Amino acid sequence: MKKQVNEANNWISQQLKESPQIGLVLGSGLGVLAEEIEDQVVIHYRDIPYFPVSTVEGHAGKLVAGTLMGKKVLAMQGRFHFYEGYSMQEVTRPIRVMQELGIKQLIVTNAAGGINTNYRPGDLMLIRDHINMMFQNPLIGPNVDEWGVRFPDMSGAYSEELRQLAKKVADEQKMELREGVYIGVTGPSYETPAEIKMLRKLGADAVGMSTVPEVIVAGHAGMEVLGISCISNMAAGILPQPLSHEEVIETTEKVKNQFISLVKGILKNMKGE
Amino acid sequence: MTNDDYVMVQGEERIRRIQEAAAYIREHLDETPEIAMILGSGLGVLGDEVEGAVKIDYKDIPHFPVSTVAGHAGRLVCGELAGRHVMVMQGRFHYYEGYHMSQVTFPIYVMKELGINNIVITNAAGGLNRHFQAGDLMVITDHINFTGSNPLIGPNPDRYGPRFPDMSRAYDPSLIQLTLEKAELNGIQLQKGVYAGISGPAYMTPSELIMLRELGGDAVGMSTVPEVIAANHCGMKVLAISNITDMAIGEELEPLTHEQVIKMAEQTRPRLLALIKSIIPGVR
Repeated sequence: MKKQVNEANNWISQQLKESPQIGLVLGSGLGVLAEEIEDQVVIHYRDIPYFPVSTVEGHAGKLVAGTLMGKKVLAMQGRFHFYEGYSMQEVTRPIRVMQELGIKQLIVTNAAGGINTNYRPGDLMLIRDHINMMFQNPLIGPNVDEWGVRFPDMSGAYSEELRQLAKKVADEQKMELREGVYIGVTGPSYETPAEIKMLRKLGADAVGMSTVPEVIVAGHAGMEVLGISCISNMAAGILPQPLSHEEVIETTEKVKNQFISLVKGILKNMKGE
Repeated sequence: MTNDDYVMVQGEERIRRIQEAAAYIREHLDETPEIAMILGSGLGVLGDEVEGAVKIDYKDIPHFPVSTVAGHAGRLVCGELAGRHVMVMQGRFHYYEGYHMSQVTFPIYVMKELGINNIVITNAAGGLNRHFQAGDLMVITDHINFTGSNPLIGPNPDRYGPRFPDMSRAYDPSLIQLTLEKAELNGIQLQKGVYAGISGPAYMTPSELIMLRELGGDAVGMSTVPEVIAANHCGMKVLAISNITDMAIGEELEPLTHEQVIKMAEQTRPRLLALIKSIIPGVR
């Protein structure tokens, strides 16, 4: 596994002009942010050795490296989901590659369903914490000690410092920013109303099918993580209409300007070490 | 680990492997053990107190999994302890290591083949119950399987137990009672509670810990549940005790390392070992 990551990493390093400092994982409909990156180097997943290839509509499947708000970034436009049939190791492979490239800070974004009844479609939510309801853990298996400890701490999986920074930027931009707990499920079926009720009782504010594996691995890697959910729809049972992937994409289209300006504002203020 | 450790070996082949492992162990023993013990991190030392010890390395037992964790010796120690014939597992197998659930529980069925009907299990766990504190011992009264898997998924080996085993008394009430009495007699403070079993290896987030407490968990850990399900499947009586090595209160969570867990486990060890030794003579 380490060997495969190294090979992918070597290959990517050869394409890059500079070492990236900050990783960006862009969720459904949020990939547009990558278009704003300057001095772009674009690397298609299909060309990277041992890299999985994304199968979902709306996920472009490429790495975009370059400069954004003065920071050297590496953005994933398109990610890998467990529900596509990838192993947890494949889902999190890009994070390992980022770790090997020396990236210490990660911004993860996703589209999520709102569970908290105060939320509205189009809200942006800072992830304060997560609950892993995927019944899988990407770290099961022999531990690679060079990557991290056997039993990584998860008490501060989402950096307090980066959350404070995000709130400050949102304030400055007069943008409403929620903060809540993201619960990760496997999908691909959306949750039933009964399941949403249960997830709310378990402490969740938003639900989605990604992010948790990536953040566990980023935590294992010792990265500072910032997570932002775009509440693309209200989860089942809250509003009287059925859910569709089209609705998710439509809402993210509407909030993408807000999202882009928030992330850019955050990037500008990050130390970028 | 070998490839066989990651996948499930099913049906007759699985039973054959369990029996071969048991036969190998039996050849090395003069007496049949009455009580098996699976001891958590740092507690394997109890094996060193076994008299007339016969030691069998896991790697020599046909089809037996081999431990990948540093500090887990990886052997069976059989002999006499507190007047009873025991078999101590020094080193256990965890789901987070990558073993298939059927491998994690392989030793349980080997014990059953050897004729063992009582099993004592210990583990290190995080305290979810606000009334606990680090260093407490907790006798497990029940568990919640939050590992996301079940060791009995797959074709049922009817030789060992029913397709749908009862879990209404997974932790034997008379052994719990015995433990409470012995603790009181020896002046050892003992908590009672529900163990929530997770896969690990990442420790839980604050939100996950709050959730587990709301669901009824008093302690959380990464072992024991698979073994207890398998032991119940094959009709063994189970006693399990958690060593509360750290407090896992989501609202006031501090960062945790494995080293802290080990350190606290060592401090509590003498009390836990004394408790176990006082219980053994009363196990029937």
